[in-house]
This record gives sequence, C-alpha cells and structure tokens, in this order.
Amino acid sequence: MKNVLVLQRRKSKLHRELGTIFAIFAREVTLLFKSPAFIGMSIAMPMVMMGMVGGNLMENMTGGLNFEFGKFMLVGMLVNMLFVTTTQSMTTLVDDNDSNFNEEMLVSPISRYSLAIGKILGGSFGAIFSMLGTLIAGLVLKVTLPLSRWFLILSLSPLMCLSAGAVAMLVIGMIKNKKAANYAVMLITMPQMFLCGAIIPIKSTTGLLKILSRCLPMTYCLDLVRAVVYHDSAEHDSVVMFNPLVNCVAIVVVTLVCLIIGTYFYAESEKNK
Amino acid sequence: MSMVEVKNLIKQYKHTKIRSVDDISFKVEEGEFFAFLGPNGAGKTTTISILSTILSKTSGEVIISGFDVQKEARKVREKIGIIFQKPSLDVHLTAEQNIRFHAALYGMCGYRLSFKLMPKAYRQKVLELAEIVGIADVLFKPIKKLSGGMQRKLEIVRSLIHMPDVLFLDEPTQGLDAVSRRSLWEYINQVRNQFGTTVFLTTHYIDEAENVDKVCVINHGKIAFCQSPEVMKQNFLRQELMVDSVNREQLTSELSDLGLDYTINRLVVVPCQGSVQELILKIKTPLSVLKISEPTLEDAYVEFLKKNGGIE
Ligand SMILES: Nc1ncnc2c1ncn2[C@@H]1O[C@H](COP(=O)(O)OP(=O)(O)OP(=O)(O)O)[C@@H](O)[C@H]1O
Ligand SMILES: [Mg+2]
Repeated sequence: MKNVLVLQRRKSKLHRELGTIFAIFAREVTLLFKSPAFIGMSIAMPMVMMGMVGGNLMENMTGGLNFEFGKFMLVGMLVNMLFVTTTQSMTTLVDDNDSNFNEEMLVSPISRYSLAIGKILGGSFGAIFSMLGTLIAGLVLKVTLPLSRWFLILSLSPLMCLSAGAVAMLVIGMIKNKKAANYAVMLITMPQMFLCGAIIPIKSTTGLLKILSRCLPMTYCLDLVRAVVYHDSAEHDSVVMFNPLVNCVAIVVVTLVCLIIGTYFYAESEKNK
Repeated sequence: MSMVEVKNLIKQYKHTKIRSVDDISFKVEEGEFFAFLGPNGAGKTTTISILSTILSKTSGEVIISGFDVQKEARKVREKIGIIFQKPSLDVHLTAEQNIRFHAALYGMCGYRLSFKLMPKAYRQKVLELAEIVGIADVLFKPIKKLSGGMQRKLEIVRSLIHMPDVLFLDEPTQGLDAVSRRSLWEYINQVRNQFGTTVFLTTHYIDEAENVDKVCVINHGKIAFCQSPEVMKQNFLRQELMVDSVNREQLTSELSDLGLDYTINRLVVVPCQGSVQELILKIKTPLSVLKISEPTLEDAYVEFLKKNGGIE
C-alpha cells in the first residue's frame, strides 16, 4: 500500500468560517434543486395568495386608502414570501436531526453561528423562486415595479433572509419533531403576515398588536423595502412608518438577538440531553 | 502526554433516574490503540459522545489532547475524528458530496460545486480512500442507493479525510463483510503507524480488540476492568488442553483419578491450572488427539462479564 496522502488545513480562521458558511449554503441549494416540488410551490404560493387574498382586498376593501393598494400589497407579499420560504426551509433542521446529520455538523470545529448563518442563507435561497412567483402574480394583476427597484430589493434580501431565519431558528431549533415543526412554521408565518403589515396596513395599529409588531423583524424589513420602493413618491408618508436607518438598526439588533438566542438553543438542546 | 484523560466522569440523562456513566476514570496515551468494550447499554456511546463534545456531562473532567471538552470544545473538535454508531450521512447528497462537505467543514479545502473543480490533492485523497475501502464505483451515487455496509465505509473515509489526532470509532465495522473489515483495519493500522493516531474503539467484535494496547470494560456505567488484553486473558482464563482417546472412558476415569476437572464437547476439554507440560505428562492413557487451546480475548471478555454479573 502506498503512503497515506495528507491534505493540509487552511490557516486563516475567517477564511475557514466563510468556507463553512458557503459549504452549508451550497448543501442547502443542492438539496433545494433535488426537490422540484418545493420550487414549484415557492412559485405558486405567492400567486395563489396574491390572486385570492390580494385580488379580493383590492376590489372590495381599499376604497378609503390614500395610496395604491396593489403596489403596497406586492411589496408586502414579496417580503412575506421571503419570510415564509425561509421559515419553511428551517424545518430541515428537524430532518438533519432525524438523520443524525446534525451530529456530523456539531462535532466539526466551526462556529455554531457559521452553521446557523449557512443554514439560513442556504434555506432562504428558495425565496428567489417565491420572488419570481410574486413578480408573475404582480404582472397578472397589473401591478409592477421598475427593474431598478427589484434589484434594490434583491440586494436587501440576504439581510431579510437572515432575520427571517433567525426568528425561525429561535422557534424551530428546539423542536425535535417534524409535525410540531410544521405547526411551528404556521405559528410563525401566519401572525407575522398580519402583524407586520404585509397585506393589511398597520400604521394606525395600537396596543398589544402594536407592541407585538414592533418585536418582529419582518415589520422593519417590510418598512425598509417600502421606504426603498416609495422613496420618491407622493404616497411615501402614508405608507412608510420609520426612517430607513431606524429600520436597518432595528433589523440588525432584532436579528442578532434572535440569532444568538436561537443558535444557543439549537446547539445546547442537542447537547443537554 | 495523555491524549484522553477522563476523571470521575458522570452522566445522567435528563428525566432518568439512573446514571448511564457512573464515575469513570481512565487515560489513553498518545498513539495508543484503546478498546472500550461492554454489553449493550453499558454506556460506551454516551462516553464517546461526551469525549467528542456533542453531549454535556453531569460532572467530572474530560481532557482531550490537553484541552477541556467543555471550556475548549472547539480546540478539541479540531483534534478529533469520529465515526458515530448511528449513521450520520446526508442521504440526499451523493457519497462524494458528503465527503466534500466534511472536508470543507474541517477547513481542508473550499467547497466547490463539482468534484472536478475540487483541488487535486482532495480528489486524489478521496479516490485513494475509496479504493482502499472498496466504494470507488459508488462514489458518485446518492447515499440512498448505497447498501448499509457501503454507507459505513463511506463514513470511514469521511472520518479519515482530515487526519485527526484522536479517532473515535463507535462500532465502525458493524455491517461490514469480512474482507472489508480486514482491509479497513489494515488501513487504520497504516494510519496509526504513519501518524501516531490515537484510536479509541468500541466494538462488539471482540477479535478486533485482540491487538489493542489497552482494554477497558464498562458495565452498567462503571469501569469494570482496564488493562492490556494479555492481562485480561491471564486473569480470566487459562489455557485449555483438548484431548481424546480411542478409549475415552479410560481417559475420563484417569482424569477423575488425577482430580482434574473436564468437560466433554466434541473432545475432552481440560482447563489448565498450571503448566500445560506438567498436565500432559500426568496423562498416561494413549491419546488420539492432543491440542492446546489459547483463550481468545472474546472468551476472556465473556467470562469476565459472566463473573461480574453483566450478562447471563
Ligand atoms: N438520549 C438518551 N436519553 C436517556 N437515556 C439514554 C439516552 N441515550 C442512552 N441512554 C441510556 O444510557 C445507557 C447507555 O447507553 P449507551 O448508548 O451509551 O450504551 P452503549 O454502551 O453504547 O450500548 P450499545 O452497545 O448498545 O451501543 C442506556 O441505558 C440507555 O438506555
Ligand atoms: Mg453504543
């Protein structure tokens, strides 16, 4: 037998962490493309939602609004679908746990945060398809945005995915059961959609609902995206709630808090049996 | 330097009343081949999980390669490789993608989107290892299409990609055929010789522990025995004389007269208390068969557990 070959380890820590994040991202993307049904659903879902909910609302309920509801909803749906897809994909944490693949990742010498971030970014890759679905639905309903705005939104999407994933991680990271995880997804996505103003405006909301909406990063993501979309329009003040900078800070803070707590729970719940 | 140092380790799983690992202490020296044996449920996997940082301990101290598993978990992870008892492959990926992912996690090379784009050293290494364990022709198939044994071999390849200082093997050969088992051990021995890798093995194939440096037997969460395999054999078993005669009755009555215990299987088996030679000289009946049987580690192990209330 010839001598055993040796591979050299990389020296730089940062390089290694980034490599890890990319590897985990690439794995998720590979898995995504192996499940065309998921891709199909990601495209169909926003179309169904916009078509049914949005279509009805547009025709029946928006008389008193002083902004164009179609555009408002398109942006809301875009961000909402991004959150839904990312949350949905975080349920693979449970699959990894079932197949014991978690252990392979947890025993490796990488930061738990790299694991979480790679997982979230990879999982949210599917959100691109839901954006596509939203775009199509928008075209059908004759609601469109200039191309430059689409690119701006696209460039904000990794930040939004991270915050969506961090919230999901907080809830799903601790769940060991596929059924419970599926309910958890509903539990996160449904209230988020209504609390954060994806479809229904929340600018005048008060009380408990207001407090809840301020705790969820999606509120700020939505507002940030709307600030981008509406920044030179007359409707700006009736749609946008906060300064974009406030939104950015809020997103980063809430995301970090969720990510730190979520990752901690995810790693610890595995360990403390 | 001790590679593995365990002091008064205790593990009690949540919501259980008994300790799965109950105050165990042992050391594994650098380069040592260490066998951790014990019946089902003895606490082997629990111990390995704690040593490999993926399970928290209840109390005690565990140092791997000079680092504390709790406080310096990451440094420990850098040093170790592991084959889990339960398969831990991603069944949706191909065999090679599983290895590639592992190599990236351990910082051996970046993850590229196809095998061809991976660095040459990586490709050579994977092909070499796959050849050795005999999975070269399924390397690019999805895990779902691999047999159980092939999946095991893949995990073995994966665990060796990053050349760990300590290799934890939790029943690595379960489900492997005889030829694969042998070539695997040849390879592991080669790795040990070339790199001085410390190997921490649990197995139910006791013959695999025949050549180890130290055997620790764990039973009901406690270390029942920790010595070299030779000492274990000497302590718990004697050599046996296996004899037969054309006139078996004469032989057995002579043995009784000499005050020797015997049992009759296919041959007459006489346990040897002292020197075999002296025993042979005492027997005058003409023998048609004369064999000396050396105890195997497995015999000694089973004997040991019987005496210590481990198994019936
Ligand atoms: N997650 C868990 N929660 C509670 N008890 C557990 C858990 N895992 C293992 N145990 C218990 O701990 C004890 C030791 O289990 P362990 O898996 O370490 O045994 P083992 O020596 O590896 O056995 P085997 O040879 O069958 O693999 C057993 O009694 C088992 O029931
Ligand atoms: Mg076990």
